[in-house]
Amino acid sequence: MRIILRLVLVCLFTILFVVPSFAQQPITLGIPTSLKLIEGAEGNKAAILATEEINAKGGVQVGKEKRLLKTESLDIRDGEPGVPTSEALLGIEKLILDQKIYAAVVGNFRSEALLAAMDIYSKYKVPNIGTIAMAPAFQQKILGDKEKYKYSFRNCLDSVYLVKYISGLMGHIQKEFKYNKVFIATQDVLWATATGGLMEKWFKENGWTVVGNEKYPTGASDFSSSLMKAKSGQAQVILPIFDMPTSGVLVKQWRSMKIPALMAGFISPLSGTKAWKTFEGEIDGAINVMFEIGHIPVKAYPPSGKFYDAYKVRWKDEIQSGHGVSGAYDAVYVLAKAIEKAGTLDVDQVTTAIAGTDLAGAVGRIRYDAGHQLAFGNDPKVTAAAAAMQWQKGKRVNIFPESIAEAKIEKPSWIK
Amino acid sequence: MLIYGLINSAVLALMALGFNLTFGISGVANFSYGAIYVVAGFLTWTLINQVGLPYFPSALITIVAVGIAGVYMYRLILKRIRGLVISEVIATFGIGLVLLELLRYLGFMGFEYSLPMFIKGSVEIGDTYVDIQRLVIIGAGILLITALYLFTHHTKLGLAFRGIAQEEHTSLAVGINPDRIASFSMGMGSALGAFAAIVILPLGTITVDGGYDVLINALSVCIVGGLGSTFGVIIASFIIGYAQTMTATYLSPHWIMIVSLCAILIILAVKPSGILGHQKELEERV
Repeated sequence: MRIILRLVLVCLFTILFVVPSFAQQPITLGIPTSLKLIEGAEGNKAAILATEEINAKGGVQVGKEKRLLKTESLDIRDGEPGVPTSEALLGIEKLILDQKIYAAVVGNFRSEALLAAMDIYSKYKVPNIGTIAMAPAFQQKILGDKEKYKYSFRNCLDSVYLVKYISGLMGHIQKEFKYNKVFIATQDVLWATATGGLMEKWFKENGWTVVGNEKYPTGASDFSSSLMKAKSGQAQVILPIFDMPTSGVLVKQWRSMKIPALMAGFISPLSGTKAWKTFEGEIDGAINVMFEIGHIPVKAYPPSGKFYDAYKVRWKDEIQSGHGVSGAYDAVYVLAKAIEKAGTLDVDQVTTAIAGTDLAGAVGRIRYDAGHQLAFGNDPKVTAAAAAMQWQKGKRVNIFPESIAEAKIEKPSWIK
Repeated sequence: MLIYGLINSAVLALMALGFNLTFGISGVANFSYGAIYVVAGFLTWTLINQVGLPYFPSALITIVAVGIAGVYMYRLILKRIRGLVISEVIATFGIGLVLLELLRYLGFMGFEYSLPMFIKGSVEIGDTYVDIQRLVIIGAGILLITALYLFTHHTKLGLAFRGIAQEEHTSLAVGINPDRIASFSMGMGSALGAFAAIVILPLGTITVDGGYDVLINALSVCIVGGLGSTFGVIIASFIIGYAQTMTATYLSPHWIMIVSLCAILIILAVKPSGILGHQKELEERV
């Protein structure tokens, strides 16, 4: 009789105290990324911001109960030079096994690391929404084995969409100014040279003359030879594709050498508001593609500005990178909405819900294609969107696509 | 091409002079030189943007502070292993790695780190516009070389530097303390690295990884010119500087980075002591 009584007491204790405490355990989101690089650091902050906002409203509704979210960040360093992919993968596995993360956001910088990480996420059944690495091989891998890789999603621009945006911008410039001569300068890294190669093909197919296509090693800080070639070849547009810190020098030299061509493309250091001070105003007139809106507020699409302002208030600083940050913020909301829609933490049901996402995010309307890639287009009310902005008198002004443009392109004073 | 080749040569000479001075006097190949250059850039940036000091006092404080740090790096670490070449290389390379990774740890990442230009604007030379900061670099290079010449030929400390460089054991006989002079050379080499950073970095941005590029550039110029030879460094700067500019103009900027490495290979195959170096001349003759 005593034994039965004790058993009943143990059961009562378990039901009253242990089960509820399990139920109130927060859902842990892992943020494995390169925290020492600006996109990773700011992506981490954006994901934390989204988590705090959701928790402030009581958390995520899982069936009949509300669950809080918490984040566990880990610097996997895969974006830093010389760090092997294996180290990044070990970091992800550590987060999964030690911190028992339910899902992961932000993720890898290098595409080869992302592709390898997809197998780990698949092995442990961890939903993940990446916002940095851009290789289209991601979608191909998912489409190659949809069941195995159903846990992986991408919430940022990929390189195919990047080419579409840049070619759209070039078409816009051609329409505005009747330009058809271009000089391409890229950083000598795979994503940039591949984008440059695809753009060269596009230019040739669309009646442009490509005066030159030159590659610069990472760390280069003198671009005078290409600028002189662009000038002597009478290029009307210079298309730069760089993400190295020293690439801002290209724009400074373009101004100081008064090269009579529009500078329009992607130079990572030009993306943030601090670039004006960093380059002492010597970037006026340069046109830069922002990979996702939200890194720059868009008047025609208020959610982007709402996120931008919330980030600024929370972290007392504006976003300085042009990629991956608004996507990281949205990724947390995508996960939260999917959990609520599924009404359970069952991973398979949640990933099915993520695949069916339709949400107005900071990057635009969020919907995924069959390869789990966020769909991009020119209207943020319909799809996610990138933007091209021009530095005009110290301000970043959206000039493309037309649906979000807030001003016309201004030619620098020395260009006729 | 002529103008930008000249500027590129001046940049290389400025980068290499500090490394060369330390090696020429103390025999220590300071592999932390690139890190010292980057630390100087970030220190100046911090003094200007965080402390709020004007540019020139910040630059001066940086040069002095980095110089003193160089002296103590020698006294605390390198003095114990001086003459053990491999140990010196490992120690200085290790110090460099620690400094660079420390900067990374402290959050010096991103694109906002840049020093202001001395004079903004550009001038037209022939049919080419050149920004004035690049002309400042040429001026700074000439100034530094002249100052170094006057220092080593007309000051007591400079003569002691040369004495140690020429014959360390004999210089002991005339009361020159080799360790003291070697520590000064380390400090002065570091200060020259800081000076180069302050003059060159306004052209671009300060990055942690830039330290490795500076070390490679300084090393290649010194090896080609002859380790320890100031005039060798100047000649090598012109050779490599113009070779890089011509490569960028006539081939592609893609190949710039291998120019200095090719120059090292060629000089090691033809004249291992470098153009004006004396370090291995006896072995070469034998």
